[in-house]
Amino acid sequence: MKEFRTLLFLDWFRGIFEKMGFDYPALRRILQVKFTMDQRRVPTVFQQQGKKGKESKGENRFIKSLWIYALFGLFIIPFVLIGENYIFQMSIAFSVIMFIIMTSMISDFSVVILDIRDNTILFTKPVEKKTISLAKTIHVCVYLFFLTAAMTLIPLVVALINQGFWFFLLFLAGILLSDILIVVFTALLYYLILKYFDGEKLKDIINYVQIGLSIGLAVGYQVVARSFEFVDLQVAFTAQWWQVFFPPMWFGSLFEWVLNGDNTTLVILFSVMALLFPFAALGIYIKILPTFEKNLQKLNSHGGKRRKKSNPIGKSLMKLMCYSREERAFYQFAHYMMKNEREFKLKVYPGLGFAIVLPFIFIFNHLMMSSFVDLSSSKVYLSIYASLIVIPTVVMQLGYSGKYKGSWIYKVAPVERHAAIHKGTLKAFLAKLFIPLYLVMAVCFLFLFGMKLLPGLIAVLVSAFIYTVVCYKLLSDGLPFSESFDGVKQSDGWKVLPFYIIIGAFIGLHVLSLTFGYGIYVYLVLLLVVNFVVWKYSFRD
Amino acid sequence: MEERDEPILSIRGLRKSFGVKEVLKGVDLEIYKGQIIGYIGPNGAGKSTTVKIILGLEEGYAGQVQLFGKDISTQSAAYKKRIGYVPEMADLYDNLTAEEYLTFIGELYGLEAEAAGEKAGKLVELFGLTEVYHSRIASYSKGMKQKILIISSLLHNPDIFFFDEPINGLDANSVMVFKELLAQLAAQGKTIFYSSHIMDVVEKISNRIILLHNGLIVADGSFEELKNTNSEGTLEEIFNQLTGFNEHKETAQKIVSAVQEV
Repeated sequence: MKEFRTLLFLDWFRGIFEKMGFDYPALRRILQVKFTMDQRRVPTVFQQQGKKGKESKGENRFIKSLWIYALFGLFIIPFVLIGENYIFQMSIAFSVIMFIIMTSMISDFSVVILDIRDNTILFTKPVEKKTISLAKTIHVCVYLFFLTAAMTLIPLVVALINQGFWFFLLFLAGILLSDILIVVFTALLYYLILKYFDGEKLKDIINYVQIGLSIGLAVGYQVVARSFEFVDLQVAFTAQWWQVFFPPMWFGSLFEWVLNGDNTTLVILFSVMALLFPFAALGIYIKILPTFEKNLQKLNSHGGKRRKKSNPIGKSLMKLMCYSREERAFYQFAHYMMKNEREFKLKVYPGLGFAIVLPFIFIFNHLMMSSFVDLSSSKVYLSIYASLIVIPTVVMQLGYSGKYKGSWIYKVAPVERHAAIHKGTLKAFLAKLFIPLYLVMAVCFLFLFGMKLLPGLIAVLVSAFIYTVVCYKLLSDGLPFSESFDGVKQSDGWKVLPFYIIIGAFIGLHVLSLTFGYGIYVYLVLLLVVNFVVWKYSFRD
Repeated sequence: MEERDEPILSIRGLRKSFGVKEVLKGVDLEIYKGQIIGYIGPNGAGKSTTVKIILGLEEGYAGQVQLFGKDISTQSAAYKKRIGYVPEMADLYDNLTAEEYLTFIGELYGLEAEAAGEKAGKLVELFGLTEVYHSRIASYSKGMKQKILIISSLLHNPDIFFFDEPINGLDANSVMVFKELLAQLAAQGKTIFYSSHIMDVVEKISNRIILLHNGLIVADGSFEELKNTNSEGTLEEIFNQLTGFNEHKETAQKIVSAVQEV
């Protein structure tokens, strides 16, 4: 097993650990094993790129992912540099820092905090429990240190040069304090969830945070790039009492108090909270840690009593969309798979989120250049076609599953024609994921552009149906949910690019139809016919 | 019965509750060197809980547990050096290779890294896993993982073993090796605590059978002794009788009729 520099560094403190009664060799060995295992794990920020890549012998993938965080760190610099309205600018800076650390803490370190294998593997060995707990804590802290350092190193240097030593010192202290706050808060969050819910619920919540992080990052690129145009630095900012619930404000206040000499009660109160709260939280954390470890056992339980709500609308929609009984069965099956498989959600939902945001970014760009009145008479609504880019990505993912081994059932079950499997799955995707999303967008668009858009929007939806089949026929050759995610190749991401041209063709036809009076209605009828033919005759086996 | 002075493991008045549910309701038990104990009972009878308490995985129990003549609640974790444990749940750090994993476990038990690696290599060869020794455990079959668990319980030459369904997933040949291994270990003076639901295996290998039901010991003795006090012939039947289950025919019949109505 490999030697880690972190551990060599830790060796300097060996004496201290041993004096405190910890079994240092065991501690070191546990950490070494944990780090080795982490090398073989992929951080969420990289997960969207698909394939795990080759067996990298060298550095931890996490360490390699740090440059992304360094990049995020750059966004903080402007807030450090501009002006002396500290409470405003530093609250924003700390919001960014805390958001990113918090989300990656939940998405990537949960594996560390919630590893129940520790229980049977380590606790049965002749190693004291406190040594195991310490190993866990050090494990998390090491990563948190690297993450925070990567993100804040450059801003810290900039702060030192530009804002002086005291600002730098406050900044550093603030970062360390918010780190403590985040670790404790995450652990307490898990503790509370586990106390009242079972492990499945917690895994769901972690999953949604991971999805949120991915969407946040994808959308963040777009938004942050534009946001500087809005930031009005002349804003006269005063603290409000309700901001007490917003921890970044505490740290912003600290700067205002110390550097600007603001003596208002609220600013001082917030500053004191910034200093005291992390330590108070730490105290509570140490106190409840033993109960937390015990609650972790619940992660394994599957809390049986989840009653299924019957959904009459969903049922009748299914009957409307699927004629044969077989097709309905696969529709249901695909629906459950998409709903329950966390890995699938992690890969697909960020794309869905992006699809819903993209059209609005286009509209937004347009608004920057012209007026709102101008908007409703323009053709910017065609940007709704951008939401179709999610279809090839999802359709490609439909072939994969984390539990792909279960696909033997297709071979064993007496299914006459595979058409029912394909059609049921695609219809489930459209009905459960795409159409709800599209409806939300369509309502917004009707609101923005007026009711006259309705036939056009229906045409886009029908185009999406046709597009789904085309993508599926060209992109996917196996049965749904029947291959391992490990099989997703790096190059597969590029495979979807040519399919964007097809979207372009749809837009072209749409524009063409608009040049005739009532042309859009003719186009709509044509699309419906094509749609019928495509769905009926594409799946023949 | 031969003379034995000191029990290896002695449990007195052991009680344990989860919330309002009392899982163990006063278990008394003494186990001596060289015994192979078949620890059986229906699902939820408290078998795993007993073992977990002995291993220090569960706390907050009433009563006394003494291992090697010392109360475990007052000891440091060092007493676990003399225990070998195969858990029911095959929890492994499965993105390590077998070599990495076994060396690590050996070291946790206080072996030198090299000695642990060497011994693991030897055992892996004897268990027929040499080919996959340097592959990740995640790629193993169920039986192979089980063998890794068994090896990890043997590495440090412990004095007492706790096996929970240890032959899960092993093929028939490996099962034969394992059964023979138990007999020979016991002959060397090792004590073996064996929980399983497979009655005919327990019947054959154990020289003492303890049946736990609803948190209490309802039978304790060799298979012959159990047969004499109960009218039934096989351990399975004794098990059914003592746990008060005699509806297997009716239940099966109900299942069949449910199957047939379409």
